[in-house]
Amino acid sequence: MSALDAAIDLRGVTKTFGGTTAVEDLDLVIPRGALYGFIGPNGAGKTTSIRMIMSILLPDSGELRVLGSASALEAKDKIGYLPEERGVYRKMKVAAYLAFIARLKGVAERGLAARVSALVERVGLAGVESRKCEELSKGMLQKIQFVAAIIHEPDLLILDEPFSGLDPVSMRLLRDQIVVEHRRGATILFSTHVMPQAEEICDHVVMIHRGRKVLDDPTSSIRSRYDPRTILFEPFDARASVEAVRALPEVEACAAVDGGYELLLREGADAAGAISRVAAAVPVGRIEIKRPRLEDVFVQLVADESRSPDAARSLRAELAGAVQVAP
Amino acid sequence: MSKILQIAAREFVATVFTKGFIIGLLVLPTMLGIGVLAGPRLFGADRNFAVSGQLAVIDVTGDVASELRAGLTQGTPAAEITDVIRRARADAAGGGAVLEALGLAPKLTLVDPPAGADVESAKAWLLVADKESPHLALAVIHANAAQPNADETSLGSFDLYVPPKQDQRVEIAVQQALREAIIGARVKRAGLDRAALNELTSVPRVRSVTVTEGAERGTVGAFGFLLPIAFMFLLFTSVMGSGQGMLTTTIEEKSSRVIEVLLSAVSPMQLMAGKLLGHMGISLIAMSLYLGLGLLGLSSFSLLGLLDFSLVLYLFIFFLIAFFTIGSIMMAAGAAVNDMREAQSLMMPVMVMLMSVWFLWFPISRNPDSALAMVVSFLPPVNTFGMLLRLASQHPPPAWQVWLSIGIGCAGVVGAVWFAAKVFRIGLLMFGKPPNLPTLIRWIRAA
Repeated sequence: MSALDAAIDLRGVTKTFGGTTAVEDLDLVIPRGALYGFIGPNGAGKTTSIRMIMSILLPDSGELRVLGSASALEAKDKIGYLPEERGVYRKMKVAAYLAFIARLKGVAERGLAARVSALVERVGLAGVESRKCEELSKGMLQKIQFVAAIIHEPDLLILDEPFSGLDPVSMRLLRDQIVVEHRRGATILFSTHVMPQAEEICDHVVMIHRGRKVLDDPTSSIRSRYDPRTILFEPFDARASVEAVRALPEVEACAAVDGGYELLLREGADAAGAISRVAAAVPVGRIEIKRPRLEDVFVQLVADESRSPDAARSLRAELAGAVQVAP
Repeated sequence: MSKILQIAAREFVATVFTKGFIIGLLVLPTMLGIGVLAGPRLFGADRNFAVSGQLAVIDVTGDVASELRAGLTQGTPAAEITDVIRRARADAAGGGAVLEALGLAPKLTLVDPPAGADVESAKAWLLVADKESPHLALAVIHANAAQPNADETSLGSFDLYVPPKQDQRVEIAVQQALREAIIGARVKRAGLDRAALNELTSVPRVRSVTVTEGAERGTVGAFGFLLPIAFMFLLFTSVMGSGQGMLTTTIEEKSSRVIEVLLSAVSPMQLMAGKLLGHMGISLIAMSLYLGLGLLGLSSFSLLGLLDFSLVLYLFIFFLIAFFTIGSIMMAAGAAVNDMREAQSLMMPVMVMLMSVWFLWFPISRNPDSALAMVVSFLPPVNTFGMLLRLASQHPPPAWQVWLSIGIGCAGVVGAVWFAAKVFRIGLLMFGKPPNLPTLIRWIRAA
């Protein structure tokens, strides 16, 4: 794919702040129309990378093209951006604020008020247009800011931690809106440090850790490549013996976990056949193939840096969203 | 350009259409009006204040005390002598209204110290409390106060002792009374007639007439004195008001994190240019309003003809220079810090420099061709204030100096905007410890 075909094309981009390297030699190519997840723990360099893509920060070295332009400055009207540090003019009314942002993004005056109303309604906030921004809750403001990011129907939508601080209902609504924008044809890059969010909607994942890219693959490829070769099963009778299962030729190891068992299969073993034989050996209440989780993949990739069990546990918890570290 | 205008329009609307701005706009003329109406009453002399009490005099010559006593006992007391002075001064200064403002005449009672009393014991008398007729002062007349000593030509004076916490007005009145008495004694010793001397030495002060093209009118001395400060006041309030606004709104945008949303739509330079443009409009409204009120005031007193209207043109030119210089520095400061407290620390050197123009107003107005005036009128960022003061003075500088100052000011604008743009770009997304000078230099090199 040529640089002109890509929505975002970063080559060897590096950014340092004082003595700290925030992003190091980052290569990233995002094709038009893709939905990319940009994941990594807090402080990994996601926001710095996004700010460089937006030309809010300039890289120290490397090349960068956005929507075929040498700089996002030349394509700002085609880019929607929801920054991690979200803010509004608190004294402005919602409609006035959204109209102001839309005008800055080149939206014509004609039909602007109707567009504002329609989008506000789309995120479930019909009627708030005449209220001042300072009168809205944090979750409501976040939705308004999402509307500000899509009000000009951008070709490229960049969302930095879009779900942080949202309740589950709002999170689902926002996730659906991201999908709607993707279906409209927008290229979407969203960053998160909570990996299940990326797993749900992304078709491609880029992982970054300490400023360096550690993974850049389609979600399907990651699943097959990082297949844990593990079957999870719970005997119908919890007291039943699983010796017959241990004796199966496909099974390399069997460990009791949370009221059930994890069976590690031998290299090259047929998982479907193994499931049939386990079910034949012991009556089972539940049996399934363990899917690779992104946080597992991530922890595996950065194993050297998270060698201590405590560090690995902490990192895993953060990536799973159990630990919300304040930005 | 349209994005810059959008930013400018938002800044303008968000500021101008607020109660705070409207109230702020009206506060200044209201305060000035109150000052004009109530100022003389508030700050003028206390008309109900009268010097009243006892004055002890040790006079070895016998002439001065008798002169003073004669005044007090024969209906020409020192009080009346000082009253004559008061009237003379009041007439010279402008008439009865001033006399009224000077207040009541002093009432002094002359006290002879006890027989054989020396200076030290007389000093103790000063500390004796007397509510009815307080002990105001002890005067010791020099032996040669009325006539020189033998083989000498110089005349003496007197020593004056007062109790603690003496009112300065009392001391002035006592000194005047004693001075008049000594002069009276000297005149008598010289065999001259005091009344004739007063007649001979009295020349009433006249009021000059200002002649303009096709008209003439009584000179308004205060006009030439107040004009420079009025123009500097206009320039200062307009520039500082908008500068403060830019500082505040930049800090607000940074702390509310809306800045990153804006930067996703416009470049830092567009944002800065839009904010400058918006606040320039706000300042121009305020300055034009105050200028209009000032011209209206001059017109109502038929003084408009005394104003050189090229000053108004220069006011706007120097306003633009000062606005862009100080405004961009203020915005850079706002971008570099996290809150107003940090901004105040960072802006302290600039503010001290700008406030210095108030201290320089008087010397520059009095002597607009001095070395100080020259230096200030060519030194950015205060050159705009200095040159405007000189232009509004009675001795305006030559045109080449004015245009050189404008040229230097424009160069200052380029430098300030260049500096501010770099700090603005980097500082907007920097949080945490406010920058020191080395950090600012690093930002400028990095931007």
